[in-house]
Amino acid sequence: MATDTAVSKTPQISFEEFCRKTFDPKGEFAKPEALKGIRVLSCTQYILGPSCASYLAELGAEVIKIEAPRRGEAMRHTTPFNEPFLYPLSKYVPERGTGLGFLGANPNEYFCSIDFHRPEGQNLVKKLAAKSDVFVENYRPGTFDRWGIGYRQLSAINPRLVYQWLGGFGGWGPGRVRASYDILGQSQGGNFGMTGKPEFMGGSPAKHTIWLADYWGGMMGAVQVLASLYYRDKISGEGNFIEYSQVHGVTRQLEYALPLYGRHGITRERWGTWDTQLCVHGIIKCGKSSYPNSDNPQESEEGYILISASGDEDFARLCKTVGDGNIASKYAKADARVKAEAQLEIYPFLEKWAADKTKEDVANILDKANILNQPVWNAKEVATNPHWQQRGAVRWLDDPYYGDLLHQGPGYKMSQTPPRLKWAMKPVGADNESILGKLAGLTPEDIKRLEDQECI
Amino acid sequence: MSSAKTIPWPAVPIPKPEEVYAGLSDQAKDYPLFLESICRQSHNFEKPEALSRLRVYDTTTRMMIGHWCSSMLSELGAEVIQIEPPGGDPMRKLTPFGRKEYMFTDKETGEPVGAHFLHEMRNKMSVTLNLETEEGREIFKKMAVHTDIIIENDPPGHRDSLGIGYRQLKEINPRLIYCWVGQLGQWGPHKDKPGMLDPVAQAACGFCHGTGDPKEFGGTPMRSALWMADHVGGTQAAMGILAALYYREMVSNEGQFIEATSAEAIIRILDYSWAWYGMDGSIRPRFGNWDLAINIYAVNPCKDGYMMVGGGHDRLWYRIWRVVGDEHPAVEEDILGDPHLREVADRLAMNQQIKTYTMLGEWLKDNSRSDAERKLSKQQVASGGVLYVNEVAEYPHFKYRGHVAETESPHYGKILYGTTPFQQHKTPGRLKWMGRPTGYDNQDTYRRLLGFTSEDFTRLKQANVI
Repeated sequence: MATDTAVSKTPQISFEEFCRKTFDPKGEFAKPEALKGIRVLSCTQYILGPSCASYLAELGAEVIKIEAPRRGEAMRHTTPFNEPFLYPLSKYVPERGTGLGFLGANPNEYFCSIDFHRPEGQNLVKKLAAKSDVFVENYRPGTFDRWGIGYRQLSAINPRLVYQWLGGFGGWGPGRVRASYDILGQSQGGNFGMTGKPEFMGGSPAKHTIWLADYWGGMMGAVQVLASLYYRDKISGEGNFIEYSQVHGVTRQLEYALPLYGRHGITRERWGTWDTQLCVHGIIKCGKSSYPNSDNPQESEEGYILISASGDEDFARLCKTVGDGNIASKYAKADARVKAEAQLEIYPFLEKWAADKTKEDVANILDKANILNQPVWNAKEVATNPHWQQRGAVRWLDDPYYGDLLHQGPGYKMSQTPPRLKWAMKPVGADNESILGKLAGLTPEDIKRLEDQECI
Repeated sequence: MSSAKTIPWPAVPIPKPEEVYAGLSDQAKDYPLFLESICRQSHNFEKPEALSRLRVYDTTTRMMIGHWCSSMLSELGAEVIQIEPPGGDPMRKLTPFGRKEYMFTDKETGEPVGAHFLHEMRNKMSVTLNLETEEGREIFKKMAVHTDIIIENDPPGHRDSLGIGYRQLKEINPRLIYCWVGQLGQWGPHKDKPGMLDPVAQAACGFCHGTGDPKEFGGTPMRSALWMADHVGGTQAAMGILAALYYREMVSNEGQFIEATSAEAIIRILDYSWAWYGMDGSIRPRFGNWDLAINIYAVNPCKDGYMMVGGGHDRLWYRIWRVVGDEHPAVEEDILGDPHLREVADRLAMNQQIKTYTMLGEWLKDNSRSDAERKLSKQQVASGGVLYVNEVAEYPHFKYRGHVAETESPHYGKILYGTTPFQQHKTPGRLKWMGRPTGYDNQDTYRRLLGFTSEDFTRLKQANVI
């Protein structure tokens, strides 16, 4: 078969160098944005709805976040252990701050405040929606419809509007009135009950530490918004209504659990830090702490490491490295190793070997034997890791309001239109004048009156 | 080998609309019935698909991130061709605890496939091609002309060294959107750590360390039971692909190169971990089933399992204690009388969380999941039990809305599955078929894209190219 001549060009630089240049976080602002010119109204609170809009903001959409006047949305008042806050909350409440729970779900956005309950506020929403491409909200189903600013009313004003509702259970069906939050989504969707150690190992169902059903659910919403924008602008010219139920999302990801239950009536159980389909492919304890002198319990505790040697050759090499012939021959075959009884023997055996080692000791030994391993890194180890720093996964941000912030970068990279981080957030209503003036024609006097009435 | 026997599903009949909306006024029924009329899956096939004009080659193997990513696109209507090595993606062979009797078997050929792989092969075609052969690569280059999107997950630089990476294929097809997916990335100090599948990413991003009970409670770092980071990373990859598509169609007429990793996708959503560390050196601790930043917002043991109760702001806080107070007036009195629990933010301190949840546990221990949910729901407090998969499969709301459904596969018989959550008015996601045997679509695909003849098939099969 003939070779295409265009392919024979020899690359000038190594592939790694090419990637480093192509995806360099420092070059992000030299490139265009994929969603430039797309306007998003984010009438959202907590994480599920806000994060959906924030992913679009990373891609360059003009996202206008609308919150309750003065104190803003509930998530501003959440922060780990009530310790860290970023000041001020708003110009009206300077003595209070925004909690870190708000971070990560609202970057790059403009911040307006409107009281949705009042007719004057609802009129403002209509004016903004008439000039927007996307509308994101996560109030209880039917609330916005009742206020006259739901899909039925806004699509009549603006048929090109992509209306994204996100929430717990969806707006129809027997559970439609139920409220939901992330961990309720995790609990009822099914991933909570499968995560954690089984009872016979002394465990219970375990929460995924992040607000996963929210943050990931928002991503699922953003995927649909992007597909809808493509379909609107390329094909139909029409907007869309999208109903995303976060419980539904969680149920979607249960892997083999539903097919297995449907075929055999078997209920997938918890299996701790190991894997049900591969062995060795699990996390073990290393007996020694990497930081024995630290007074931080997150550091002084023992280390943990993921070891993966599921192929027969890898497993043989692992056993040789660990120095045991008995286990090696007994479990030479993958099918024999992955059985529950085998795992109950293999992992404790590995832990015994690691009992006098730190996770770095284990990693060094296994690296030399070319066996896949990954130490369980804590937040500090991730934040200070050169790999994640160079890639911009965690980066220092010079925020115009809040100064130097260590912040996550976008979760993926693009060569031509990279997503990017501009600012972390702003105080409540910080952009009322510019946005409501520009889009709703409010004069400075209007703004002052409405702010005094706490309508905005 | 799997038997054709299936357990009866649903064990309890799915509720009917007249039962669900019984006793409601016309006004109260209006909005949910409107939503049903525009979102019910039974209307899906009357509607177009958002991505039906797109073709995707998913050339990933051995991991879930790529398969998850292409599922997002195939559920929205893209034609996804799963390109597997001859013999199939090794993922096909995975089955819990190695139990072959749990696998699904093709009626015609007897080829088994694990339930995990099958669940992610929705709406995808299967084509075999050996990219490790020269002829396989030549075929792949010709195929690259015909596609919009390629997803791959080989070790960093491998495809480039074979002459079929982004740099080479974009010369053949400048509109190509090329997406590499993996655990840690194609560049940077850890790029050559031998790549494998989740939970490598979960361990490398701070997720495992922060999940599970604190050491004092007998806990250890914990992984998600699922290959969760691959799901999140795959969703981020799909987002990048769709953004690139939008830009290509609206602005540039050119494709681009995308890189998505499972670890960075989770780092992106590890909320305040980084800012907190940056401010004062705090290392996000494990906090079990409680939340570091919201109270009440936790899962705690109850009479028959584990119960989520949530309500962070004042209105819900007082309602929750009113419910508890109906059975334990002294508890309500103690909590509401505590000056250190009056302000929302004050309740977040660790010692206050310990007090709050200990006292809530007093009430929960005598209440089952359904009792607790019934009592709290009356006060519109978000609550619900931790459900196991048999309960998820039978949950009336999920059955009614089609979150869980059964499909009849021509190859594998009846399959219970988690449906697409892409429910929409205009271009809803949908299931068309669930999985194909290895290479099932070779004939159609190679004939329509490359004009293969019967001789080609015979020769390439013998040479282990397809």
